[in-house]
Amino acid sequence: MDTVQIALPLPVLPEGWAGEKDFKAIGSLSQATDRNIEPVGPHFLAHARRKRHKRTFSEDDR
Amino acid sequence: MSAQQNPAQRVAIGISFGNSYSSIAFTSGEGRAEVIANEDGDRQIPSILSYVSGEELHGTQAKAQLVRNPRNTVAYFRDFLGQEFKSIDPSPCHQSAHPVPQESTVAFNIRDTPEEKENTVTISEITTRHLKRLRNSASDYLGKSVNSAVITVPTNFSDAQKEALNKAAKEAGIEVLQFINEPVAAVLAYDARPDAKLADKIVVVADLGGTRSDIAVIASRGGIYTLLATHHDYEVSGFQLDQVLIDYFAKEFMKKNKSAGDPRENERALAKLKLESEAVKKALSIGTSAAFSVESLLNGIDFTATINRSRYELLAIKQIAAFTRLVAHAVEKAQLDPLDVSEIIVAGGNAHTPKVASALSAAFPETTKVIAPSTSPTAINPSELAVRGAAIQASLIQEFELEDIEQSTHPMVTVTPHLSHAVGVLCISGEESHGIFHPIVDAETPLPVRRSAIIATPKEGGDVLIKLAEGARHIKVTKPEPKPKEEKEKDEDDSDEDEDESEEEIREKTWKVGKILSEAALRGLQKGAKVEVQVNIGADLSVNAIFREVGGKGGVRGILQGQKGVNGSA
Ligand SMILES: Nc1ncnc2c1ncn2[C@@H]1O[C@H](COP(=O)(O)OP(=O)(O)OP(=O)(O)O)[C@@H](O)[C@H]1O
Ligand SMILES: [Mg+2]
Repeated sequence: MDTVQIALPLPVLPEGWAGEKDFKAIGSLSQATDRNIEPVGPHFLAHARRKRHKRTFSEDDR
Repeated sequence: MSAQQNPAQRVAIGISFGNSYSSIAFTSGEGRAEVIANEDGDRQIPSILSYVSGEELHGTQAKAQLVRNPRNTVAYFRDFLGQEFKSIDPSPCHQSAHPVPQESTVAFNIRDTPEEKENTVTISEITTRHLKRLRNSASDYLGKSVNSAVITVPTNFSDAQKEALNKAAKEAGIEVLQFINEPVAAVLAYDARPDAKLADKIVVVADLGGTRSDIAVIASRGGIYTLLATHHDYEVSGFQLDQVLIDYFAKEFMKKNKSAGDPRENERALAKLKLESEAVKKALSIGTSAAFSVESLLNGIDFTATINRSRYELLAIKQIAAFTRLVAHAVEKAQLDPLDVSEIIVAGGNAHTPKVASALSAAFPETTKVIAPSTSPTAINPSELAVRGAAIQASLIQEFELEDIEQSTHPMVTVTPHLSHAVGVLCISGEESHGIFHPIVDAETPLPVRRSAIIATPKEGGDVLIKLAEGARHIKVTKPEPKPKEEKEKDEDDSDEDEDESEEEIREKTWKVGKILSEAALRGLQKGAKVEVQVNIGADLSVNAIFREVGGKGGVRGILQGQKGVNGSA
C-alpha cells in the first residue's frame, strides 16, 4: 500500500501538554463489524497465511 | 471423493460460464491472463448446444440453429442448475428448447441422437456437455489436457447451485479448484495488471449481461475485497436492449411491406430478427450506424435497413436509465453515497454500449471514474473481465492441495472484523480547538491492518501534537445562495429568473471528528520536517501506533488496548 500523504500540517503542541513517554491513551476503537472477505487474489492469500499460521505483518515481512 | 488431481499434474484454466456466453482463459508463465479462442475463433462462446441428426453443435454454430432448429437447441440454461423446476424462470428459453420438470430438477426434451429419438436430458448433463466442449477447446489450444478450473458464478448463486455445477464439471473431467464471484473476478482482473496501484477504494461492478443485471458494491482495501451490497435484476438485461431493436426493425419492415404482417408473430421470423438485432446492437458499440439485413425475413421478403447510434440510444433510453437506477440503488443498499464510489467497472457484454457507460457517468459525480471501453482507453474488454480474474485466481492456487484451498476459503478464515469508522489524524484548521480529520485507514477495512501516513508540520518546526481519532464521513450539502430579490426586479430582462430554484446544490465529502483515541507529542522537529505515523490495528481492535520524524531519530510509540480474549495482534 502507498503511504497516505497529508499536506495539512499538524497542530503545535499546546503549552503544558504532558504524557508518559509523550503518549496519552484516551479512547478505544468502536465495535467492529464482522464481514466476509472474498477469498480471492494474492493479498487475500497473504491474509489467510497470516491468519492460519497466526503470524503478524512484521513476521510476514521477514 | 473420486480421484483428486495431484497439484503437480494440474493444468488449470479460468472459466466464466454465463447464461448467454462462456469464456476460457489461462495464465501464462509470465503471469498474464490470456483468453482462449475456440475452434470457431470465438472468445465469447455462446452457452448453447444444438443437435442436428445426432451431431452436437456448440457455441456460435449452435446459436445459428435457433432459427432452423429451435426445439433441439438448448440455450440460456446456467441459472437452472441446482434448482427445482418450480423456482426457475423459463422465459429466456421461449425461442429454444423448453425446460421441463424431471424429478427434483430441470431437463430438456431433445432429439440428440442419430435415431432422432426424443430424450430427456437433465440440466446437469447439458452443463457437462457444454463444459466438456470448453475444456476440449482449451486443451487443444494449450496442447495439454486441461483437468481443473476456477469458475466464476454470480454472487447470488446458492450452495445447491454450486454443488450442481461442481458435479457437472467433475463429469466433464474438470476439478473445480474454487468458485469465485463474478464481480470480484472483474476487480481482480484490473488489480492484476502490472501497472495497477493498490489503493483503498469503493468499487462498484455494474454487470449488464444477456438475461440479467448484477450489481456489486465492493470495499477494496489494499487488494482485499469485501462485498458490501449486491443487487440483481432479471428484467433489465441485454435481451431488453435487443427487444428495442427487434421492435424497431419489425415496424420498419411493416411500413415497407404493408400486407406482409408482423414478423414478431412468426416464430422463425422472430428468431431471425433477434439474431440480427443482437448483431446490430454490437455493431453500434463501435460504429455510429449499422446495417440490418435478413434474407427472407417473412413470406420470402428480404429486408435491409440501417439505424444510427443516436436513434438506438433514444429508443433504449428507458432500459439504460433503469440500469443506472439499479446501480444507484445498490450504492444506497450499501448505505453509501455516490460520492463514496471511486470507480464503476462496467462489466458484461452490454458494457460495450457507449450509452450504458455515459449514462452512469452522468448519474454519478465527476469524482467517480466509470471504466468501460467508451470512457477509458485502457479498459479491459468487459466481456472478458470475469474469465481473466478466474484465470489469475487459478494460477494463484493451482499448486495447493484442494484441502488447503477449502481451509482458506472457510469462514474461519474469511469472516473478519471490519473497522466501523475511519481512523486518522487531526490536522490544523482555522479553529484551533477542532482540527480537520484526515483518514489513514478507511472504514470497512478488514483487520488486522497496517497503514502509514506522512504528514506536514508547521513551517517553523518545533513541537507538534498528533491526535489519533475516529472519523465519520459526512456529506456536506451547500445550497446555492439565492440572488437578492431587489437586484432581480431591477434587472427586468432577466429571463431565467425561475432557474435559481433548480440550480443544483453542491454536495461534498467531508469528515466529522469522532472519538479521540490518543494524543502524542513529537518535540524539536526541524524546519520543514515531515512526520510519519504508522498505525497497526489488530483483529482485537488493539492499536499500536508509531509516531516519528521522517529521517529523524527515536519517535514515540503508543498502544491502545483492544478487547480482551480476542487474539489478533497486528
Ligand atoms: N460488443 C457488444 N456490444 C453490445 N452488446 C454486446 C456486445 N457483446 C456482447 N453484448 C451483449 O452482452 C450480453 C451478453 O453479456 P455476457 O457475455 O456478459 O453475458 P452472460 O454473463 O453470459 O449472460 P447472463 O447475464 O445472461 O448470464 C448480450 O446481451 C450481448 O448481446
Ligand atoms: Mg453475466
